[in-house]
Formats: sequence, C-alpha cells, structure tokens
Amino acid sequence: MRTRLLATAGALGLATVALTAGPASAADEAQLSVLHGVPGLTVDVWVNGERTLDDFEPGELAGPLDLPAGTYTVAITAADAADDSAPAIGPVDLTLEASTSYTAVAHLDASGDPTATLFTNDTSTTKPGEGRLTVRHVAAAPGVDVLAGTDAVITNLENPDEKVLNLPAGTVPASVVATGTTEPALLGPADVAVTEGTNTILYAWGDATADPSTLALATQVIEGLHSDPTAVQAGELGLVAESGSATVWPFALGGLVVLGAAALGFAGRRHAAATR
Amino acid sequence: MARRHLPPTRALAGVLAGGLAAWLLAGCTSDSPPRTAATVSSAPARPAPAGTDAPGPGPTGTAAPAPPGIPVRDATAPAPTPAPAPVRLAVPSQDIDMAVVPVGVEDDGSMQIPADADEAGWYRYGPAPGDDEGNALLAAHVDSRQTGIGPFAALRDVEVGADVRVTTADGTTHEYRVTRVEKIAKDQAPLDLWFARTGPPLLRLVTCGGAWHADVGHYADNVVVTAEPTGG
Repeated sequence: MRTRLLATAGALGLATVALTAGPASAADEAQLSVLHGVPGLTVDVWVNGERTLDDFEPGELAGPLDLPAGTYTVAITAADAADDSAPAIGPVDLTLEASTSYTAVAHLDASGDPTATLFTNDTSTTKPGEGRLTVRHVAAAPGVDVLAGTDAVITNLENPDEKVLNLPAGTVPASVVATGTTEPALLGPADVAVTEGTNTILYAWGDATADPSTLALATQVIEGLHSDPTAVQAGELGLVAESGSATVWPFALGGLVVLGAAALGFAGRRHAAATR
Repeated sequence: MARRHLPPTRALAGVLAGGLAAWLLAGCTSDSPPRTAATVSSAPARPAPAGTDAPGPGPTGTAAPAPPGIPVRDATAPAPTPAPAPVRLAVPSQDIDMAVVPVGVEDDGSMQIPADADEAGWYRYGPAPGDDEGNALLAAHVDSRQTGIGPFAALRDVEVGADVRVTTADGTTHEYRVTRVEKIAKDQAPLDLWFARTGPPLLRLVTCGGAWHADVGHYADNVVVTAEPTGG
C-alpha cells in the first residue's frame, strides 16, 4: 500500500503512503505527528521554510498537529542552523490528505544514513475487544522478525517497512531478532501492551551496528478506535421471563421463579434469593 | 478552513507557523523556559496572510496566546497506569451486594458476562467508576446455568433515587443515585450510549428481562439502571 518517492536530494529516501481514509476526524484536516529516530543528533525541523521544531531530541514524539490537507515541504537541519539551506535530511514534500493520520519519522536507513519516512497510521475501527499493533522498522539494521514468545508473528520486516496486526487486547511478550533467528534478541523481550481500541505503534529505531548498539523502542498510541460490544446477553435460563408487552413489568414473578428453579434443581438458597 | 482562496503554499505556511510555534511553546515551556524564550525570538516572523480570520500565525516573536498545546513527549517512556477497577457493587434498597470482576468481549462480539450470576462483570475496556468521563458499565446474568437466579433479577425493581455504591480496588467507594430504570428491546438497545467513553460520568447496571426466546436462548430485552455520581 505504500509507494515510494525518491526525493531529489541524493541520499534521501522518502516513503510516502497511499491513502487509506481514516474514519471520523476533522473533515478537512490531516493529523501529523513527528518522531525523531536518529540517535545522537539534535535537530531543528523546518516546514515550508519555517523553523517549527527546535532542538528536537532523539526519541521524542511531537504532535499530533491538525493541519489542513495539502503538501508541506519539510527539511531537517542540525540544531540551531540559521536556515534550512543545508538540511541533513530533505527537503521532501509530504502530501497529507484530509481525515488521515500520519507520522513522519526522521531515522536511519538500513545502511545508517539519515532519511525520513512518512507513514500513514491505520485509524480504522477495531473490533470489540481488539487492539492494533503496528511495528515499524526504522533502524540501521537488517531485516528482523518479531517474536511473540517463541513464535514469529512478523517475519523479515525491513527498513522502512511496517506490519499491522489486529489482536485480542492483552499483553504480548515480544522480542525482535535478526530475521530467521530466535536469538540473540536485538530488542526485548519486553511485554507489549495491545490496548483495546488503540493502535499501538512500535518503532524499532537506532543503530544496530553502533558499539554499543543504540537500538531502542519508541511507542506512539492512537486511541479512540474502539467499537462497542454488539449485545449484552445477560440471562441463560428464562427463569424470570415476562410475557406480554415490553412496557409491562412483572407481578407474579415469585411463583414462576420457584417453579422454574425447582424444575432445574437449584439449591434452596437460590430460591430464597430470587423470591424474597 | 476557509482559506482555500489563498495561495496554498502561503496559507499552509501561515497555519504551520502559528500551529507549530504553539507546539514549540507548549513543548518547551514546561521543562526549559529560557530555551523557549530563545526559540521564540529566533523564529522568523511572518505576517498573517491578508484577509484571514483563521487562527493564523501572528507575530511569532511574542509568547502570547498559544493555541491548544501540541504535546512533545518522550516516546520511550512507559505507558500510564489505568484507573483502579471496581471490585464490589451494592444497591442497598434491593439487598444487592455482590463482587465485581473485570470482563471483556466474547468471540461473537457480545459483552462477556460472568458465568456466576452472583458476580457482576465490569466492561474493562470502558471507563471505570471514578473516571471523569463516560459510562462505567456493570452487567450480570439475571439467571445463569451455573448459579440460577442472581441479584440482578432485582434490577427491574430498583427505584429512581435509590443509592448505589461501587467500591474500587484502591478501597474508594463511589456513590451514585439512580436516575433511570428502563427495559429496552435488545434490537433497539442504544449500545453506543451505554458504552460511551466520553460525556458525563455515569454508572450503568445491565441485565436481561422481558420475554424468553427459547429458540435462541436469550431474553428479548435488557433491563438497565442508570445512576449518576452524587459527588459525595
């Protein structure tokens, strides 16, 4: 679902994402977050020539910012640059569609060069009781597998790709390993919360070739994607059923309850509780 | 935004300058005021695009009114801890005093209900009693195969104005007063209201009632008690 655009500025690979319309959000606006995933480099972020994030530190996540849909030119410079004429990353054009959530990530490519990737966040509604886990590889590292326990739930994820999983809410003991292996863990094991109604986006960022490794995890959460249970089915026997119109409350419950319960052989204390 | 007549680049730049200046302010003031001041004064000022009444950039050299803050946070920090779960429910007027356990969703998408009708299930993905917003929803079987008729058989007899108390795992007792008692056909149940995660904080107690449909093994209606916090 992603098309890749190579920016004119040499080493830069910018991936932009074809749009999957998100549900309900401000009709004309896009939501943009920015993650800094380049180790050891404090930067300024310039948008359309304006310094918009100053002294942005590795591991920091900024946003979300509601922006009118449109195309924005983004450049990333060393901190406190006088202007954006000598960017370390970019300039790149980010096209943001209305009602869509994005995260722009400044990170290293697989070979360790700074780059930037625009991801589209999946904000579609989750099923009742489920959460969404998105894993993004933005580290200077080869392809990885993500293990849940000892099972590979994601295989050969490469920089700058992502994988989206919809899972029952709960906790997944996850670790990241070089693809095709089970150890050593490059990251983890760590308990990853799959939160109901939330897209939990995990970024593996940093540099696996650094000594010591600067690989790390960053987390972004997008909440409010939940859907409600489809029903509340809170009775199994019909022992306290009422006949007739739904607007009429029962009056002769006691006899009905005793008969029904006796027929089914419930203990005496249940009768007492129900008929008092 | 009613700014489409403007040259797009300029309009967008204006909005960005304003919004992101605010972002900077919001992100920096809490931990490093001196740096913020430097940041703001060094930001190139750009006049607002002519003829706009949108929340434009204004002079970025002043620290004044920042639009709602755009957070900058450490994405490597651990997640916040959730509110304490409810553990006990009491409706004294109906002699209801029962344990509460957290529940989720069945495979078919319906709410999970404790098999023991003497226990109420709290929908753990929704708000908890004591949360500032939304509905804390507790449901119990009116009757169950495991334990027969349960305390929630008395929900239909609860009167408006009755007291309800919910105790959470931290030992806090949350007091409510009943505002509505309803029986609603399941096919018309306003589940989006009952499970709402925003809006005023309410307590919903839900069970079944009405006619028994033996063919599907379900009651026709839901009985719902709605209560609001007394503030006490």
